Amino acid sequence: MEALFFNTDTGYLEAIVRGYKAGILAQNQYANLTQCETLEDFRTQLSATDYSNFLANEPLPISTSTIADKATQILVDQFNYLRTNAVEPLSKFLDYITYAYMIDNVVLLITGTLHERDTHELLERCHPLGVFDTMPALCVATNVEELFQSVLVETPLAPYFRDCLSASDLDDLNIEIIRNTVYKAYLEDFYEFCTSLGSPTSDVMHRILSFEADRRTINITINSFNTELGKEQRAKLFPAIGRLFPEGNNQLAKADELDQVRQICENISEYRAFFSDTSSHGNGAAADGLGAPSQLEDHFFSTEVHLNKLAFLQQFQYGVFYSYMKLKEQEIRNLTWIAECIAQDAKDRIQDFIPIF
Amino acid sequence: MSGVGARENVFATRMALTNTKLRLKGAQTGHSLLAKKRDALTTRFRTILRKVDEAKRKMGRVMQLASFSMAEVTYATGDIAYLVQEQAKQATFRVRAKQENVSGVVLPAFEVDRVAGSDFNLTGLGRGGQQVTRAKEVYAKAIETLVELASLQTAFTILDEVIRATNRRVNAIEHIVIPRLENTIKYIMSELDEMDREEFFRLKKVQGKKKRDTAARDAAQAAKSAAAPPPTADEDREAELATNLLSSKDADVIF
Amino acid sequence: MASTSFKDRNLIAVIGDEDSITGLLLAGIGHINEQQKKNFLVVDAKTQVSTIESAFQEFTERKDIAILLINQHIAEKIRPTVDLYQQAFPALLEIPSKDHPYDPSKDSVLKRVQKLFGD
Repeated sequence: MEALFFNTDTGYLEAIVRGYKAGILAQNQYANLTQCETLEDFRTQLSATDYSNFLANEPLPISTSTIADKATQILVDQFNYLRTNAVEPLSKFLDYITYAYMIDNVVLLITGTLHERDTHELLERCHPLGVFDTMPALCVATNVEELFQSVLVETPLAPYFRDCLSASDLDDLNIEIIRNTVYKAYLEDFYEFCTSLGSPTSDVMHRILSFEADRRTINITINSFNTELGKEQRAKLFPAIGRLFPEGNNQLAKADELDQVRQICENISEYRAFFSDTSSHGNGAAADGLGAPSQLEDHFFSTEVHLNKLAFLQQFQYGVFYSYMKLKEQEIRNLTWIAECIAQDAKDRIQDFIPIF
Repeated sequence: MSGVGARENVFATRMALTNTKLRLKGAQTGHSLLAKKRDALTTRFRTILRKVDEAKRKMGRVMQLASFSMAEVTYATGDIAYLVQEQAKQATFRVRAKQENVSGVVLPAFEVDRVAGSDFNLTGLGRGGQQVTRAKEVYAKAIETLVELASLQTAFTILDEVIRATNRRVNAIEHIVIPRLENTIKYIMSELDEMDREEFFRLKKVQGKKKRDTAARDAAQAAKSAAAPPPTADEDREAELATNLLSSKDADVIF
Repeated sequence: MASTSFKDRNLIAVIGDEDSITGLLLAGIGHINEQQKKNFLVVDAKTQVSTIESAFQEFTERKDIAILLINQHIAEKIRPTVDLYQQAFPALLEIPSKDHPYDPSKDSVLKRVQKLFGD
């Protein structure tokens, strides 16, 4: 039924996104990029792609962060175009995508505020997708309560922040906990929202979000080993969705070392490969010289890419928008990585990116 | 002769000569001791120099590795620079200075003093935490190299300074103090010689004068006795006795 | 001569670009004292040379800093000041940065080393 009317509202935008997607760099373009000797060559190579001459006006020498910034800017422009042309419920869906960036921005601002930093400097550092009107006002808040009452209540993030009001004072440990609590709430809410959109969007998005949730759960578990983050607190940060939920989450909350995490993940066939060192996932170059944890991260990235690619196989659903954003982000990461390798003359690691197509 | 080169302002006496000779001896001993010290320091300095050179080059590589691990963090986590800057509170990575003694020169050496801190433990909790941990380790190693290099370099600076000072002293002793003492000795010797010669000449002169006087008196005596007619025996004897007495008395008075 | 003055020096200060500083701070050298003075300065394209100079002066005069690290390309900007710096404490180290590989020929200490090797 959905499919029947899908094109009236969203057909155009879906076409646009699929068009954008065709512009994502492919293997042979990456092959060209990795051959570059200098960042200038890199720029020349990129100008032959959809990026055209986005770096043309940059003064030499180009820094890798400039490349990342400019590439992000292109993505932001594309997204804003989609956003302005979207109607309900797609516009809501797109808004949800921006919430993730908003959370990061809010956390950044809170950190800056705590240390009495210059507001303008902070605002420059915020991710452009997560900008909202009342953001500058955040800088006046001194505690979570005030922050919530004066600023956040106006934003769509309000429900997420409600949960962490108990954290009375804002110290650095709490900030990281707030970030993760809020993110958890966000993921759950997004999941709910996708359910309300019905099939096929929910099918596609649930798959992606579940993975995202599991990834966070596993990461938080591993990263909280040997820190003062207690097990109960840790459990609170786990999103209540995903394939590991609830059984795996409970076990992960009690885990003390990597092996236990591995055992828990064995239960899910897709995740089993993450922890086996001779996995076929990712590319071979990643395997040598790296410890298991960073391989794990690579597996996560490649699985994410894989899932997002799958989203494009299905028509008449919103997942493509989300997937496009994620793929593009991965591409920016790849570009930055390659640029970094070129700049630092580390050719042996240049293949360690996650190719998309 | 004694005007050549600087010398000390002393009276040319035997006492001063003995003193100056003693001082020259002291200066020579000091010179050889300082020269030995300089050689020891220079040997040390050369080793350090080579090490500094090596370490600097090593640092280039280590830092490259470190910044590469930072790139990995950026890849996995995104931009954490700001958060990290804001979270810095207390240094957990400090250095401790200890001393080392090379030929009486105190050389400081830095030692890494790390206290296990909880800073940034939760950075990248949701994503990229492993990379952050790895970057932390890589950077900690890099800083260890830097600290090592810093001690070498400080040793280098201090040694350089000390060697310069020692060199100055050695050169001062060698080219100023010793020649001056030598000149003084030469001067005193020559003065003393001069005085000896003067004395000798004076004695000679006195002796000559005495001889001449005696000769003149003898001549006068002879002339007197020849010119006067031989007096009566009594008178003669009386007169002769008187003159003899007088002259011998005279001679006694003079000498 | 220095037996008393370096005992209480135990911090590492740094003047550098964002990436270098982030890495060094991750390792745990960051310190903010009671007067809210930091022991690091982030230099980007917009930072004034005078700011770098004054930070350099401040760090070299502080009594609790044992080692001062400075990115080589930033040291280039205040080269005369750096070259004039001869004190043993704090030890001044020029370190390479991400975008600027290490060039031994520019290092003021290495220059002296090379000169000494030359004789």
